[in-house]
Amino acid sequence: MLEPIKKNWRILLLLVVVVAASVALFAPQFGPETAPGENASEAQQGITNLQYGLDLAGGTRVRAPLLGHTATGVDFGGDQPTDVAQNVADELDGVPVRDVGANAEEGAVEVTDSSVTESEFQAAMDASGYAYEDVRSGVTQETRDVAENVIQGKINEAGLSGGSVQQVQSISGEYFILVEVPGQDRSDVIDLLEERGTVQIDIAYPTDNGTEVQEAVLTQDDFDEIGTAAESERGPGAYVPVTVRNTASDGSQSPAHEFQQAVVDRGFPSAYSSNAAQCDYGENPDDVSNPCLLLTVDGEVVNSFGMDSDLAASMDRGTWADTGNFRLTTGEFESAQTISINLRAGALPAELDISGQGTSSTISATQGENFRTYSLITGILAVFAVAGMVFLRYREPRVALPMIVTALAEVYALLGFAALVSYPLELAVIAGFIAVVGTGVDDLVIIADEVMSEGDVNSRKVFDSRFRRAFWVIGAAAATTIIAMSPLMVLSLGDLSGFAIFTILGVLIGVLITRPAYGDILRRLLTVR
Amino acid sequence: MVAIEVPEINYTEYSNRQLAAIPLAVLVLALAIIGGWFLVTGAPANLGLEFTGGVELRIADDGDGNMEQRIETAFDQEPDSVRSIPADDVYVVTFRSAEGDPDGLAGDLEAQADAADLSTEAIDQVSPSFASDTARTAIFGVGLAFLGMSVLVFALFRTFVPSIAIVASAFSDLVIPIAVMNLLGIQMTLGTIAALLMIIGYSVDSDILLNNSVLRRTGEFYESVSRATRTGVTMTLTSMAAMIVMAIVASVFGIDLLRNIGIILAVGLCADLMNTYLLNVSLLRWYKFEGVSR
Repeated sequence: MLEPIKKNWRILLLLVVVVAASVALFAPQFGPETAPGENASEAQQGITNLQYGLDLAGGTRVRAPLLGHTATGVDFGGDQPTDVAQNVADELDGVPVRDVGANAEEGAVEVTDSSVTESEFQAAMDASGYAYEDVRSGVTQETRDVAENVIQGKINEAGLSGGSVQQVQSISGEYFILVEVPGQDRSDVIDLLEERGTVQIDIAYPTDNGTEVQEAVLTQDDFDEIGTAAESERGPGAYVPVTVRNTASDGSQSPAHEFQQAVVDRGFPSAYSSNAAQCDYGENPDDVSNPCLLLTVDGEVVNSFGMDSDLAASMDRGTWADTGNFRLTTGEFESAQTISINLRAGALPAELDISGQGTSSTISATQGENFRTYSLITGILAVFAVAGMVFLRYREPRVALPMIVTALAEVYALLGFAALVSYPLELAVIAGFIAVVGTGVDDLVIIADEVMSEGDVNSRKVFDSRFRRAFWVIGAAAATTIIAMSPLMVLSLGDLSGFAIFTILGVLIGVLITRPAYGDILRRLLTVR
Repeated sequence: MVAIEVPEINYTEYSNRQLAAIPLAVLVLALAIIGGWFLVTGAPANLGLEFTGGVELRIADDGDGNMEQRIETAFDQEPDSVRSIPADDVYVVTFRSAEGDPDGLAGDLEAQADAADLSTEAIDQVSPSFASDTARTAIFGVGLAFLGMSVLVFALFRTFVPSIAIVASAFSDLVIPIAVMNLLGIQMTLGTIAALLMIIGYSVDSDILLNNSVLRRTGEFYESVSRATRTGVTMTLTSMAAMIVMAIVASVFGIDLLRNIGIILAVGLCADLMNTYLLNVSLLRWYKFEGVSR
């Protein structure tokens, strides 16, 4: 009973792989992940579970560095990061402190104002007195992570399914942000990246006719410093510490004074004379009993809050504006993060340099669909060419036919793998498939020639020894191909990593599964019984 | 129907010097072409968009005719090249970015194309600084792959002459396609880099087969060579057939990446036939009959 299985396990393994590939390709369970608000059949492109990359489906890819300079190996000398940032910003003319960041963990100080040159930043670092190792272009890891999250958030918010963002490093060590959005053209994607959410503070106050709102008491430009979101020390919630600017051009009031004035005018000090008073905007927005500060993002109120009695009193005395510090509180940490991000210029923590050092490419949906058809035709014709050559050479269907079938099974298995891991097919991957057919058949030729080289195969032993001999060459050839292609897999050279991955994978599937199976098939057909 | 008869070369009629002379002459010629190219243009090959920076637009042919002329007049900057791809109804227009003015080129060109009622199907923009970075990465990658292959070959055969024979013919297999690219006006792109790496992997196969047959198998030298030749030539020809078909079909459809990979690999495999069965054989024969006995 077990004997036939043992004898033919290589062929059976190939069959198992082919069946598994079919399941991965066609079973709905392995379908692509759906984006929010999308059903499974919409996410699926065509009858298979295969995903197509930008050049086969249309879309835009943007790859650009975040502008800025970073001093590494900085000795903070026991100072708090915020003080370090303040001290460095003081040495830079006209750069607000929000464009300078200090990260104690990385030992790094960065400036994200793109107008600051490397030598200016170096001079500022020297003048600030902190010892540092080196100044490089680019921003800190933390800033890159924030930028990545912000972009991912924007893509999700815009409901673009299949959009992705990642950090890639070039050979010179520079980091790039790589954004891929299927189905969108270049200007849409760039608009999306450059658009910033508007955050402002309104005041809602009670009148005889219900709630009235004084809009835009504070806007993005009024802030001098915007801290990172933090969990509240007492009680639930989170907050963003901010500093309102207390400088203004001659003759006009500073934003801090204006804000202070507005707060006093709307009756905060009297309403919040004790800490018992609460803002009730959340319960009855149309008829508040106390004045409230409203935090709005893109015109929507995300939070409302009253005021600490100490803070209200200091505004009443007119002393608050000297420092201009307060906290924007929110219910959840995530929304505090969003607010902090939106308050910063351009929504991204540093400017994404798309037009300067960036690269971008866009392919329209029709072009992508055409490429899909064309590359399919190209692939099929290439297979026919190989098949033709093999038939011409052997003129014996029982040698040549299994050869073609095995080579195709190899590509089929690769397609199944691509569907299984949802690897998007691109032109480069198709080229990899064609290369796999080429190398695959090469190795089958080696096996066939070796096995048939010295007359009839009259026993299993003879066959096995010849097959093993052939396999040494195949293994060596496979190893050289893998070594030659592996640099492409890791180096950041655009689409080509897909080409390398699938060529290497194809070689592995070939050596481990399909070529041994071909050997077994050939043995059954050739062994003189 | 014609059958493929792998020709038998009667090696005994030629001396090692005669055999090696042709591939070495071709190699020297190829190196001279690349060297000359470097002296004249400052780069060893025609560098494509990815390595120089610039913008490439694919503009749909709307059937109103006169496309070339409309494209010429649509843009403020003169295009570096305009190529028509009839099968896809598309024109490919490339602009090299001027050294001092890389900013916002893609956006400007898109706007200009829109203004002239040309619909852009695809836009690729590569900045010069990124391009030079890519070029360095690519050279590094090819070097690393070649080094890795060489080390592996030496580890497999553990004898100097046969191993260096493989490495030498692989080197020549790489250099000849680059020279041919220059002569045919094919640009060096990421696709051709992939193809060059494929050559390193592909071309070594037949050399390994030959060396294995001669060194590790019993039998007379010429018999081993002819056995390996029969298999090796079949292999190379099937791969070449696949690549030539891919190159032709892809150039009809205007899929540059596939076309370039196809052409380079076809040329490289062609060079490999010559290098394996002339250069490698002559070195092996010298090793077998003279080198070992010394």
